[in-house]
Parts: sequence; C-alpha cells; structure tokens
Amino acid sequence: MEPDKNGVAENTAWFDPFTRWMLIIMLAILAMIFIAAKYMDLHGMPAGGTDDAVNAMASHAAHASAHPFINLPGDAQVGAFSIANFFAGLIVGHNWQKLFGRKKEG
Amino acid sequence: MKHKSGAVLLLAMALLIPANAYAMHIEDGILPPSAWILWYGVMILFIIPGIREIKRRVQENLSYKPFLAMIGVAVFVISSMHLPVPVTGSCSHPCGTPLAAIVVGPFATAVISAIVLFFQALFLGHGGITTIGANDFSMGIAGGISGYLCWKILTRFNAPLWLAGGIAGFAGDVMTYLTSAFELALNLHGHISLLRQWMIFFAGYGPTQLPLAVAEAIFTAAVLQVMYNRRPDLLPGIAGRRGIFSKNANAEARG
Repeated sequence: MEPDKNGVAENTAWFDPFTRWMLIIMLAILAMIFIAAKYMDLHGMPAGGTDDAVNAMASHAAHASAHPFINLPGDAQVGAFSIANFFAGLIVGHNWQKLFGRKKEG
Repeated sequence: MKHKSGAVLLLAMALLIPANAYAMHIEDGILPPSAWILWYGVMILFIIPGIREIKRRVQENLSYKPFLAMIGVAVFVISSMHLPVPVTGSCSHPCGTPLAAIVVGPFATAVISAIVLFFQALFLGHGGITTIGANDFSMGIAGGISGYLCWKILTRFNAPLWLAGGIAGFAGDVMTYLTSAFELALNLHGHISLLRQWMIFFAGYGPTQLPLAVAEAIFTAAVLQVMYNRRPDLLPGIAGRRGIFSKNANAEARG
C-alpha cells in the first residue's frame, strides 16, 4: 500500500505495539475495578468516596454543611467526566506524540 | 473519656456513613473564611516562584511547554479517577502530583495543581472554590514537594529509578492526605487535641488511601522508567549525571 502524504499507510496495523499495550493495561485496570466493585456490591459496601466521608465528618465537627461548588446530579456527572476525559486524552495524546513519538528516518 | 468516645464516634462516622455524592477534596462550607484565606495566601507563596520556574524552564528547554501541558492534563485525569478499594468498601483517587513535581518541578506543580482544582470545582462538582488554596497546599504543594524530595534524595544515592519513583509516588500520596487531615484538624479540633483530631481525620482517609498510594507508587515508577528509556533528557538532573542519552537525544545532538 502506498503511504499517504503523512506516511500513515506504513503504520496502519490494527494492533501496533503501543495500542496493544495500552489496551492490555486498560483492560487489566478495568478488570480490577470490576472485581473490586462486584465484591463490594456482594458484601453490601456503599463504595462512597473517602473524601466525601471525611467531608461529612468535618461538617459534623464544624456544625456547618459542606457542599461542592456545583452539584452535578445523576448521569450529568458521568457526562461531565466523559467530556473532560475525552478532551484530556486528546491533549495528552497530541503532546505525547510531540515528545515521545518516534522520529522518521532521514 | 468523653473525648475518647467522641473520637470513636467520629471515626465510625467516617467509615460507615454512606455517601450520596462522590465528591473529592475538601469542599466549600467546611473551612471558616479565616482558614481558607490563610491557605490561599500560602498557596500564592508557592504559585509566584512556580510561575517563575515555568518561565525559566520554557526558555531552557523547548520541550517543556508541551510537557507541562501533558502533565497538567494528566494530573487532572489522575486526580479525578475514583478507584474502588474493596478492603474498606469505599473509593478514593490518586494524585499524580509527585510525578508532576519530579518531571516539571515542584513549584510548577503548585501552579498546575491550582488550575486543575479550579476546573474540577467549577465543572465537575469536586472540591470547592473557597478551598482551592487548602486543596492545592495538600495535593499540589505538600504532595508534590514530598515526592520530589524523596526522588532527589534517593537518586542522589544512586537508588534504582523505579525504586526512587515508587517511593516518591507513595510518599507524595500519603503526604497529601496527611496534610488534608491536618488542614481540617487545625480548624476543627475544638476541645480535642490537634494531634488526636488530625489522626482521626487521617484514619478516615488512611485505610482506603494506603492501597491507592501503593498503586500510585507503581504508576509513578513505571512512568519514570518509560521516560528514562525514551527521553532521559526530560528528566532533570538524571541524564547528565548518569551520562545516558536516549536515541532521540543522540539524534538531536547529531542534528
């Protein structure tokens, strides 16, 4: 296959070593999260945030109500995190390529 | 006796209260204005040299700008990751600031951590606007500097990089939560001694955070080892002293 003007065709394997390693690491972490979450679910553990528990404790000690600056209800939080992390991934990838990408010979 | 039972009650609350939201960092409303203004002031004392450090290193190294951008965003993502810890039945997050302090500098980390905390508070409902100073001091300054110092001391004694990075990650993570607990205790200890209240708050964080500190140690060590293999010139003080250059650095040197 002839490479396009960016030389992409030379490197279009489905699972190049970088992608393969990233997928392996991601799946390993997701598997650990799944197992931990399943264990906590089976044992009726609340799985709440530690920071939040300590904030509640501090609120009690301070006799004041703690609150985040905004409160994202339900799936809005998942949406906000997904958007933030999607663009964070793009920025990291863009700069990763600048810093760690292999230079073309010649 | 009364103090002891109060301490036990607070500890039980920390471990047993079910949380409805999954908030992170210290939130608005807990610290009185005198406290959060103080922590803002302390933060500014580190932000000013941080801006100077960024300006200086941008002049020294062309790679520093994209590196700082990448590390800043990485700290945002890492400190947003709520990971479940089945031992305690709760979730918490790593910090990423020990790694940041090693690679972009401890004062620059105070700057990027403040920006990260601002965006997390404003858009994700994590932390608070009034508590950015306190949260930056614990995560960006205490966590970053402690990790940085561990790294510097261990590499000076020629410890393996993975070991130096791992200990830096672990120490930075634990120090972040020790400092958070101290900030809360300093203002809220009331009639209980400061030390006792500090340990009560840390006992709230500790059981979940210690396994995550181990994870942060492994992550920090792995990233530093990969960086050392690919771009040791980006690790300040390492390439020169150990006399090792990456293929990229050699290629650049050859022009």
